[in-house]
Amino acid sequence: MDCTFLTLRVSIAEERGDETKQTKTRRIHTTHDTFQGHVRSMLGRGVKRKWSCLEELEAEGLPDAAEEKQQSASDESAESGDEAGLLPPRSDMSHLQQRQLVLGLCLEKLQRYQAGMELSLRRSVLLINTLRQIQEEMRSDGVGTCTSDVLLNGVHPDSCLLRDDFREEDMPVTCPGCAEGDAESLSPPLSPEFPSPEAAGDQQKPPPAATVSTFSDAVNAMGYLSDLALDDIFEDIDTSMYETSDLPSAWSAGSLWPVSVSLWPDEDVKMRPGSHSSAGSLQSCLTDLNELDHIMEILVKS
Amino acid sequence: MAGVAGGNDFQWCFSQVKGAIDEDVAEADIISTVEFNYSGELLATGDKGGRVVIFQHEQESKNRPHLRGEYNVYSTFQSHEPEFDYLKSLEIEEKINKIRWLPQQNAAHFLLSTNDKTIKLWKISERDKRAEGYNLKDEDGRLRDPFRITSLRVPVLMPMDLMVEASPRRIFANAHTYHINSISVNSDHETYLSADDLRINLWHLEITDRSFNIVDIKPANMEELTEVITAAECHPHQCNVFVYSSSKGTIRLCDMRAAALCDRHSKFFEEPEDPSSRSFFSEIISSISDVKFSHSGRYMMTRDYLSVKVWDLNMENRPVETYQVHEYLRSKLCSLYENDCIFDKFECCWNGSDSAIMTGSYNNFFRMFDRNTRRDITLEASRESSKPRATLKPRKVSTGGKRKKDEISVDSLDFNKKILHTAWHPKDNVIAVAATNNLYIFQDKIN
Repeated sequence: MDCTFLTLRVSIAEERGDETKQTKTRRIHTTHDTFQGHVRSMLGRGVKRKWSCLEELEAEGLPDAAEEKQQSASDESAESGDEAGLLPPRSDMSHLQQRQLVLGLCLEKLQRYQAGMELSLRRSVLLINTLRQIQEEMRSDGVGTCTSDVLLNGVHPDSCLLRDDFREEDMPVTCPGCAEGDAESLSPPLSPEFPSPEAAGDQQKPPPAATVSTFSDAVNAMGYLSDLALDDIFEDIDTSMYETSDLPSAWSAGSLWPVSVSLWPDEDVKMRPGSHSSAGSLQSCLTDLNELDHIMEILVKS
Repeated sequence: MAGVAGGNDFQWCFSQVKGAIDEDVAEADIISTVEFNYSGELLATGDKGGRVVIFQHEQESKNRPHLRGEYNVYSTFQSHEPEFDYLKSLEIEEKINKIRWLPQQNAAHFLLSTNDKTIKLWKISERDKRAEGYNLKDEDGRLRDPFRITSLRVPVLMPMDLMVEASPRRIFANAHTYHINSISVNSDHETYLSADDLRINLWHLEITDRSFNIVDIKPANMEELTEVITAAECHPHQCNVFVYSSSKGTIRLCDMRAAALCDRHSKFFEEPEDPSSRSFFSEIISSISDVKFSHSGRYMMTRDYLSVKVWDLNMENRPVETYQVHEYLRSKLCSLYENDCIFDKFECCWNGSDSAIMTGSYNNFFRMFDRNTRRDITLEASRESSKPRATLKPRKVSTGGKRKKDEISVDSLDFNKKILHTAWHPKDNVIAVAATNNLYIFQDKIN
């Protein structure tokens, strides 16, 4: 019908050992073939390859996207201001409340996966993009409102509300539970009822710089955990991970670890309540090993 | 072909409903795909229980000329079984995600069905004769001792009751790591594509042990993942062209002649976002749930959460037509997000002449848009109006202000009753609408 499929058919014939000798057939690849620097698998479960041209596109796209989001954030607050007419602070609150609600639901939805069932990747990606958008907006807000609010130290009539609001919001986003491997502090911010201000206040507020990275860790821990296919993981494994005993560096390579979560999600929660987060399973494994050693020692001696 | 709505054209009337009337619906019975074959003679449905049911159109009888032929069950078979991926400790659902018919080439019919991971090619054939008079086997079907057979008998073909057999002819497995959302038979009738969340593979219908990965959007680092493939389809006439849609509301058209690997698109269709309607849900609702070429191949249609758009393949910067499906839900997005409805994947379809389009909504409502007159209509698939030849009354949802008589308010819509899958007969004004576990068939009223 056209040349593409002619080549295709011919190449298939060739592969099957037919007499056809076509040299231009490049469309058949075995697992180890490379084509334009990409590995394409025929039999394997789709071999992963580099981002290639899209990588550049995204690299260019990112700053724009961030700008756009900030733009949109200001658009939106302006818009909600219009709706409420003469009461800008109140309308601002409703926007914040909605954001808070969306954020809480986002995290809850990402966390609430069914054991043994694969998540919809589309849904996870959309949820995480929403989270990212909110994070972006909060970061831009945080520079403006939050710091000035803190400086005013409760003098502003709305500051009390605002401050609590911000603290609460900061909790799920920075997700200290995820970052520090503390499941207890992880769960409250994820419930639809937001954490009480006292509980939130007890938490140490991480510096803004850390916020970003811990947030992305949280996202990684929750978002794509069960979407990572094992074969992909094996291809993705960065052996440098195993060469270092440095926990934080293992962390940054972290999206591998959630796999253990996806495999035994229930045990993770039930068997180690409050002591280790699902995401911090590396640490917990080490601890468990130490404990096991200890127990063995006792057993052997007795 | 006439338009979609009432007025001077014609009216839609009830024809048939399939499926149990029970209030409590078994999960396995929920219809997950509906598809007419190329002639419209057969109609296939797939369900969450992995079954495929094929209905056949029966010719109108002479003594009842007012009744056009009905669709009756032709064949039912279990296409997919639940599986367990031991490596990943994950269940693989048997749910049929898509069915695509192959153009008919002989007496038998062929279709492709797919669940999340595995595509199967099925042959549906009729048998009305059987061979009788073998003496090589005994009555139980066991081979007899050859030394005891003294004569050779030639079997004869005897007529028997018509039997429809469905047999799996090819199984295309192990090529998708993510969930298959689309399959599409190419116009060369020899190849087809299958798309999952991150990759598109091209297959030959005869070859199951290899496929060609033609699109791969998986980033090297999954943390950088911001977009997934939501649907893909081959062009109806040009076998080198296909499109795929993304969760960011864009559509990429690729030409397989340009390169074997179609990571670089030939065309990129995207409508600039209206900043005034931006919200937290902007990206979610712009995610495209279905893309379909028109029969002519000149246009394509995309469905996002609130609207359906028609694109001219020659114009990439905006759609030529946009139809609001249920704009009244825009103010309800937060609760639709809360109850997860916002992630529902509505499909859409063209009528045979590309003059009208149809797509589903909530509350068992479905919408039709006439592209020429720009008229639209909301109809309901319900048991109440399912008397033979009963005309379907147009439905209206009140949008703010006072609710008029016969209107239904947005708050009383039932979001558990959703019409995600519909199909339009390729030649006639006959439509099939899947409402949970029921399949409704409507047709235009003959005056």
